Amino acid sequence: MRTANLIANGGAESDPGGTGQPSPVTGWTALEGGAAVVAYGTPGYPTTSGPGPADRGRNFLTGGTSARTRLTQLVTLPGTARIDAGAARFDFVGWLGGYAEQDDGARLSLEFLSAASTPLGVCVLGPVTASDRGATTGLLRRAWSGVVPPGSRTARVLLLLTRDGGTANDGYADSISLVLSTPTAFLGVTAGGS
Amino acid sequence: MRVSRRTLLRAALGAGAMNAWPLAEGLDPRAAHASATALGASWDAAPFTLGVGSGDPLPTSVLLWTRLAPEPLADVQPLPDVVQVDWAVATDAAMTAVVASGSVAASALLGHSVHVVAEGLQSGRRYYYRFGALGKVSRVGRTKTAPVGAVSLVRFASLNCQNYQSGEYPGMRDLAADNALDFVVHLGDYVYEGSELGTATSLNDYRKLHALYKGDPLLRGLHAAHPFYLTWDDHEVVNDYSGSRGAATFVARRAAAYQGWYEHMPLRLEGSDTALPDPRLYRTRRWGDLLELVVLDVRQYRSAQNLADGTILGTAQKAWLKQRISQRGSGWQCWINSIFLGQQRIPQGGFMFTDQWDGFRAERAEVLGHVRSAGGPDFVTITGDWHSAFVQDIKPDFDNPGAPVIGTEFVAHSATSSAYSPSWNATNGPLLGAANPHLRYFEGNRYGHDLYEVTPQRWTTRLRVVADRGDPAAAVSTLTSWHVDRGRAGAYEDPATKGSPAQYRR
Repeated sequence: MRTANLIANGGAESDPGGTGQPSPVTGWTALEGGAAVVAYGTPGYPTTSGPGPADRGRNFLTGGTSARTRLTQLVTLPGTARIDAGAARFDFVGWLGGYAEQDDGARLSLEFLSAASTPLGVCVLGPVTASDRGATTGLLRRAWSGVVPPGSRTARVLLLLTRDGGTANDGYADSISLVLSTPTAFLGVTAGGS
Repeated sequence: MRVSRRTLLRAALGAGAMNAWPLAEGLDPRAAHASATALGASWDAAPFTLGVGSGDPLPTSVLLWTRLAPEPLADVQPLPDVVQVDWAVATDAAMTAVVASGSVAASALLGHSVHVVAEGLQSGRRYYYRFGALGKVSRVGRTKTAPVGAVSLVRFASLNCQNYQSGEYPGMRDLAADNALDFVVHLGDYVYEGSELGTATSLNDYRKLHALYKGDPLLRGLHAAHPFYLTWDDHEVVNDYSGSRGAATFVARRAAAYQGWYEHMPLRLEGSDTALPDPRLYRTRRWGDLLELVVLDVRQYRSAQNLADGTILGTAQKAWLKQRISQRGSGWQCWINSIFLGQQRIPQGGFMFTDQWDGFRAERAEVLGHVRSAGGPDFVTITGDWHSAFVQDIKPDFDNPGAPVIGTEFVAHSATSSAYSPSWNATNGPLLGAANPHLRYFEGNRYGHDLYEVTPQRWTTRLRVVADRGDPAAAVSTLTSWHVDRGRAGAYEDPATKGSPAQYRR
């Protein structure tokens, strides 16, 4: 079993690609600042052929003009029986980047939460630094795979875009995905015993 | 008397043996373990090596914590991705009268730590708890729920600045043995990220740093004995940092440090805007009608220092704090504040450190002005960071001699982290007193913690000091005591301890 991407609008393709001015992003809730949906090839931004996802589509996300922009979405996890059996795995992927030698960046995190919203696991992707990018404008792939902690009911995705200087927040993100799967064989949870 | 880790480390490093530091770069887990053991570290039996702890008690629930770490100083634990951990709460230390129990998954995604909210408990009573996993059981911890209604006495202690290589923790033994203590507050600088011995930057670095600190049996014993309310200061990440800094290299380090901290602390997360790896720490907790703790986070949201529009609280926390001030209850309100709130001028007229609230003067004036206009009397703040003890008046305008006293700040000694020299203290204590008319007391030659006894009539702070920070068995005694009477702002020293050593007294 393998789910579709559980993250809504992970590629920022649901909105028209603008030129860096903040605007609401479909599927995402802004907790701080304001993100912008930018079209590849817009002057001063990643190009259609530079480092980035092969299936990049038209747009990517930036931090707009705020020093910090935070976007979140809460995903209800399917297949709770498999999750509680320790049989569900996840693949969490994001393309993260920034501009030239500037150290603006994008950090993408995923929390697995219990029914009572207690965190059972967290994984953090990025941020991709200017050094990671070789001071080149673009986005690099970051990914994490593992076992969904039993008891998980929701997954909270948080995208943090930060500005190190200047006026534009050049933390970039695109092609964010969360996919759950069940391997054909698994060992299950290691039992406790008090 | 055992030779302290401070002495051992100095000797080894003096001889060029960098491997004496358990977190030295390149040490494998076995060598790191051996170095730590040589410094006196020990851990509980695997997998519960780091012990147990509880925190954030409410009237009917408490947060229980442990972390599975069979090899505490290893980058990767020899554990499956997910391990089931069973937990139980009982009314007796033998764990026979179990009143709550359950199971939770300990995931590698959180370093195999667990944070369990044990619910359905009775208010204001002691409980005992234990974990089980992989066929083993943890030690039994003791905790206490918060009371409701009329409370006649609360006794608690605060700790801060416990640099591992600077000393031992005899004060923690004293506190763990205090069966009448209700809880412990930690004001931050729980770990120190770096020194000449190395610097933590990655999640694995911070995990091992915390695991080393938890290798102190007195620290583990204190966590097992009492619930904690925690905040943090700067060294949990890096010295003097501003949390809002946006450089990707810093954002990555901050996330690693915050996650490592959370994995090792009994912190209850709450609020809609708390998402790991950035836990929301600011919160309020009540001890019946007697005491409201207002826990502040003066690191995560702060701007750079000395900006006209600078902030130490951040927009959301400031609004929340002003609301807490306006809506305070009828009891004492105590701010859990990691860094010096009061103004601290130097004789030349500038400020001693603008990493303190002095670097955010407009916001301090706004908040303390709100305390004056919308708060009430009976306002106390307890503070760490400075490594020395101060008692001072809080005023809405420290430069105005006519401004009223609206509260008292107690700044505690550090547990171990080094203070200024006795000669510096002797010279500068009087100078600080002359430059700061609101300063009532300064003592910087000792180490320890503060103990608070609070009743409806009076707040008492006892400065508990250790005879020798290098000796884990050192005696602990009260250096002096200060009181604040209910309804009358301003502290006064207990006549019985007025003759105790200090480098400044007004």
